[in-house]
Amino acid sequence: MRFGKAKSLVASMAVLGLALTGCANSASSAEGAGDGDGSLKVLVLGGLGAEGILANNAATSVTAAEASVAAVNEAGGILGKKLEIEVIDDRADPTVAVTKLREKLAEGEKPVAVMNSGPSTVAEAILPVLMQKQILSFNIGPTETSTDPSVNPLNFDLSPSVQDYIDGFVPEIQKKKYEKVAVLHGSSATGELFGKLTEEAFTSSGLKVTGNEGYDNAALDMTPQLEKLKSSNPDALVLDSYGAPLAYVLQGIEKLGWDIPVIGNNSVSATSLVATDPPAGVLGTSQVKNLTMQVFESTKFDPKNEKLNAAVKLMAETGTIGSSLILAYNYDAMWLLKSAAESSNSLEAKNIAEALLDSKVQEAAQTQILPKYAFTSESHAPHMEPEHLIFISPSKMVNGQFQ
Amino acid sequence: MTIIWSGMAIGAVYALVAIGYNIVFISQKTFNFAQASLMMLGAFITYVGIVVMQLPWWLVGIMAAIIVGLIAALEERIAIRPVKDMHNLLVTTLGASIILQGVAQLIWGGEPYRVPFFAGDQVISLFGGNVYPVELVLVAVVILLVIGLNQFSKHSLIGIALMGMSEDREAAQLRGVDVRRFAFLAFAFTGVLAGFLGLFVGPKTYAVATLGASLALKGFVVLAIGGFGSLTGTLAGGLIVGLTEALASRYIGADFANLSVFLILVVILMAKPSGLFNRQKERTV
Repeated sequence: MRFGKAKSLVASMAVLGLALTGCANSASSAEGAGDGDGSLKVLVLGGLGAEGILANNAATSVTAAEASVAAVNEAGGILGKKLEIEVIDDRADPTVAVTKLREKLAEGEKPVAVMNSGPSTVAEAILPVLMQKQILSFNIGPTETSTDPSVNPLNFDLSPSVQDYIDGFVPEIQKKKYEKVAVLHGSSATGELFGKLTEEAFTSSGLKVTGNEGYDNAALDMTPQLEKLKSSNPDALVLDSYGAPLAYVLQGIEKLGWDIPVIGNNSVSATSLVATDPPAGVLGTSQVKNLTMQVFESTKFDPKNEKLNAAVKLMAETGTIGSSLILAYNYDAMWLLKSAAESSNSLEAKNIAEALLDSKVQEAAQTQILPKYAFTSESHAPHMEPEHLIFISPSKMVNGQFQ
Repeated sequence: MTIIWSGMAIGAVYALVAIGYNIVFISQKTFNFAQASLMMLGAFITYVGIVVMQLPWWLVGIMAAIIVGLIAALEERIAIRPVKDMHNLLVTTLGASIILQGVAQLIWGGEPYRVPFFAGDQVISLFGGNVYPVELVLVAVVILLVIGLNQFSKHSLIGIALMGMSEDREAAQLRGVDVRRFAFLAFAFTGVLAGFLGLFVGPKTYAVATLGASLALKGFVVLAIGGFGSLTGTLAGGLIVGLTEALASRYIGADFANLSVFLILVVILMAKPSGLFNRQKERTV
């Protein structure tokens, strides 16, 4: 009897031991983040309460993230765990973003990933915090070091570099057989960079840059710069402009009676004025008759692209698409996260980050906004092939897509 | 010549802001830094009236004048009247300007809205240059406004009282002028003017929430060049700033446009510290 008791005690301990081992194995196979109830938390920062266009951009980013969470959960979640999204309204203010992020992290629950939908200033502020806490992040607002793995090994930028966009211009200009081009750009940091890099890229491609002019973003009339560029007699005008300055540039071109092809960058396509019918906008007027704009393939509606159309439909049902689909990268981020976590069979930020560098993992994510992110161990920036950037005439925008 | 037309038109817009500054300066000896933001509101209300509500332009002009006039009157009650120290008015009017811009951002966002001009938006050729009809009208409006206000200040009782207030507020009060009431009316009038001018400014600048910030500083430079309190000076100041900006952008480079404007301002103020159209008064010591 005594022996029997001892046997049963040993057996019970063995069962308990096996159970504990099993738990330990399970924990180590998907360790790193998650909730007690088995769900995984994703934090999304966005300036929903910001002013104007920043709020519209944030609304699109947050909607994209929410829609992708629903889609990923529908597809079984990540490693069998459901995703839960928590949105932080940082008002596009770095101080607010850091404060609220620290508050959330202090609650003890470590998110599996953080997605920053806001401007570069917010990214600059939160990336050191995320690095300190060893949290994986996806970022829309690039900073000087956000794509540098030696500084931010766990961060992945989602927006292509200015250089990628510019590289897309060269084949388009060559296809149209333009030999001489003029460049007009704004005075913002991005605008100045655009002016510098386009001139370098065009010159090295054998194109003649007849003029490269900037304008003050607060100016109300760009006719003088346009007349100067007109006098240099280019075949086409390459334009960086966004918002009210774009309106003044188009006015200036019309006023000068300058009949020249205008090739705008993605900032031009993001200005709703060109996609709005008169009298509120200029769509279909003589001001945009010569205008083409650079967009992602996904920003142009294609009835044949069923997967993308399903994603857009889901986003539209989930919330507001307040801007062009160019801001919907977060939709892709969630699928990248799923693909990398399942490939590495881990929820550890370090393991997911490593897996994200594998091109097969990137392909398996089946991203929709950008076809492939092409992260490498040298750079955590997406590399966009020129053929995935297309040039279209202005048209109506529905659910973030030109029709 | 197209550049000259552009410079004159943009100078006219700056001058219109400066006229608003001047009226407040004459009546209150201070500046309303929200003047440009009131003009921005005028452009938005014009947009709403013409594009959204599809009302006749003259009715929209009246509607904008009343609404912006009421907002200016409210600003006077909240941001001007309770303030005891005149120096603090710079801060309170600047605060009012920021509030107005924030409200515009909240309602209309950051995108520009096209405001059609009632007399047409087709480019016309004149004296060898191309110009929009609204640009010609802007130049005409600012000239007529200055002539009208100058005549009003010389020949009407209210105008003479206002000029008296600008010379010596206490003396005017002793002569029976209700200075607080006149100052309030002058302030509200700048709002009425800013609202009505949305009919002309909106088609040139579009209705956009950042308009106030773009115009505020240049309007002040125009005022400093022409002379504080001089309506005729705003014409000259607007012309100088507009043309300098346009010609510098064309022939030197956009980076030098603002630099050239401020260089001219410094030179003028060194030669005539009180502005081009103000006479320096001798002080009794």
